[in-house]
Amino acid sequence: MPAPRLSVYACAALLAASIAYGLLRMPLQVHDALDEIMAAQRSPGVWASFTSTLGETAYVRPLRIAETKILFDVSGGHYFAAYKTFHIVLLVAAFALFLGELSVQTWTDAAAALFALTVFTGLHTFLGFVREAFPVNHFLQVAVLVLIAVRLTRARPRAAVGVTANLVFVAACLTLESGILVWVAAVASRLAGRRGISDRGLVVMTALLAVYGVVRFVWLAPNVEAMANASGYFFERLDAPQIQERFGSGLSRFTVYNVLASIATVLFSEPRGGVFVFARAWSMGDIPPRMWINVAASTLTTLLMLGAFLRSRDRQPLVFLAVLLASAVASFAYAKDEIMSVAGVFYAISAYWAVRILIMRPLRAPAAVALAVVLVAAGAGWSIRAIGVNHVLRAQAFAVHNDWAVVPEAMERRGTWPADASTRSLVVGLRDESLARPIVNPWFVPRWADRVFEGDYY
Amino acid sequence: MIGQSGGSERTRPTLLIACAVPALVAVAISAFTVLSTAVGVLPSFWRGGPLTLSEAAALRDQGEVVRLIASGADPNAMHPLRPGVLAASSLTPLEAAVGARRAEMVELLMLHGAKVDEAGWRRLHCFALGTGAADVVAMLDRYRQANATSSCEGISPPF
Repeated sequence: MPAPRLSVYACAALLAASIAYGLLRMPLQVHDALDEIMAAQRSPGVWASFTSTLGETAYVRPLRIAETKILFDVSGGHYFAAYKTFHIVLLVAAFALFLGELSVQTWTDAAAALFALTVFTGLHTFLGFVREAFPVNHFLQVAVLVLIAVRLTRARPRAAVGVTANLVFVAACLTLESGILVWVAAVASRLAGRRGISDRGLVVMTALLAVYGVVRFVWLAPNVEAMANASGYFFERLDAPQIQERFGSGLSRFTVYNVLASIATVLFSEPRGGVFVFARAWSMGDIPPRMWINVAASTLTTLLMLGAFLRSRDRQPLVFLAVLLASAVASFAYAKDEIMSVAGVFYAISAYWAVRILIMRPLRAPAAVALAVVLVAAGAGWSIRAIGVNHVLRAQAFAVHNDWAVVPEAMERRGTWPADASTRSLVVGLRDESLARPIVNPWFVPRWADRVFEGDYY
Repeated sequence: MIGQSGGSERTRPTLLIACAVPALVAVAISAFTVLSTAVGVLPSFWRGGPLTLSEAAALRDQGEVVRLIASGADPNAMHPLRPGVLAASSLTPLEAAVGARRAEMVELLMLHGAKVDEAGWRRLHCFALGTGAADVVAMLDRYRQANATSSCEGISPPF
């Protein structure tokens, strides 16, 4: 392996290890995870788990539920270890596949790749990969599957590649709705000149997409229509009934807003979850440094991409643009940063492409100095944002730790406290294990950290 | 895969440095975290400190409150507070929760063994009124003793 590539891989390993450590410091979460774990315990088998929710909800995520069951069964009672190990495996796979897209050969490539690494981990959509797990993080899993598909588009064309790509597509679609991004990325890669997946393979994938569309929008149509989520709208956050009251159902200026807001959040780190938090903070007369850092780093990087795009006839950014657009359209019902997490990965890949092109151009001294200043400013911002992932994980660990404190009382109030003794014993065991984990109280965290690093905006 | 051809010869070192150095700072901090863990030292991001039960109650650390009580800490005893938590050197957990205006913490403590007699309830109630936290006052009202009066005459707050 050439020294530049080896150096970048070593740096990525350190970043990934640091984040993995944060994951291990965070207890298994209560919300959106405990019910899943209890269901896994009650389920008689993996197939029963796989089929348990089909047709009953608006979501088609049977693979995630089956995985939760498999991990539960193989854990031997060490649930924390099993679910966290799986999360970390996915995280490492995401890092490895991301680096695989960069093809680092020279020190110029290595410099651009280091910049892209901090974009990858620093962009707020990355937090969707690590802040939560349900107990399997389906956003991260879909990102890994999309990256595998893109990797396959660069393989030598043969039948096995097409079959594998279609299996990846099916797995992604059965994990999360965003799984259709595998098809988007595969088709965009073909348009960008990558022919690893054959025409036949793409036709089969398109047919599978049609089947998925029928299942999702015909068979599950009543459930899909009933979907409702809170979302941002300019400076405010609206809950589902408010959205219904103000905009009705179906296509409206709210759905158009969601699509545009979702594109903007990847390119400019604004708005967040549909809320223009920077402008809102401005109007209140106090913009924390983290907002300046987020917006400046993203805007400068997007401008660098635009500059490279205007100077290059390369079709590489096509995959990013396709994934960005598709993810944004998928966000029509509500703006949620996590939905844009795959687009965030490809934004970082495009950042590599753009920076590499720009620093390789022959430039006069003033232009080179100007570019260096922009790179340092953007790079510093991304670096702070990447380090801030640890801060977010620490804050999340505290929040999750507190959630466990009110179990079982909160479950009794909601009427979800299980009737059977074995499930009760499972919950109590999980609670005791989670509470025993040492957590950092925010009181020990310097005040400036909350203003500099990422936080909860709502 | 992006970037198949080399270009080091044509790239100005200044640009390489501008591109890589900020990222290397993040990598160095990550390396410090990993190395600290490897040698058994808590990484700086994860360094906190032990809390007393009253400190945990004041600092909305519900998880730590439950853990400490389960470990044998007395929810009705006075516990020391380090400077900067509240303007007192020691308080009971309930006093700390009221002083920090944490209604949910009052409820949690009551669920986990904290007790108030008539005089104690009156003292806490007056303290809560003094802080102006209506939700804490309302929470305390749920635990009001049948014969307790709400007069604050002669009652002085803990701080």
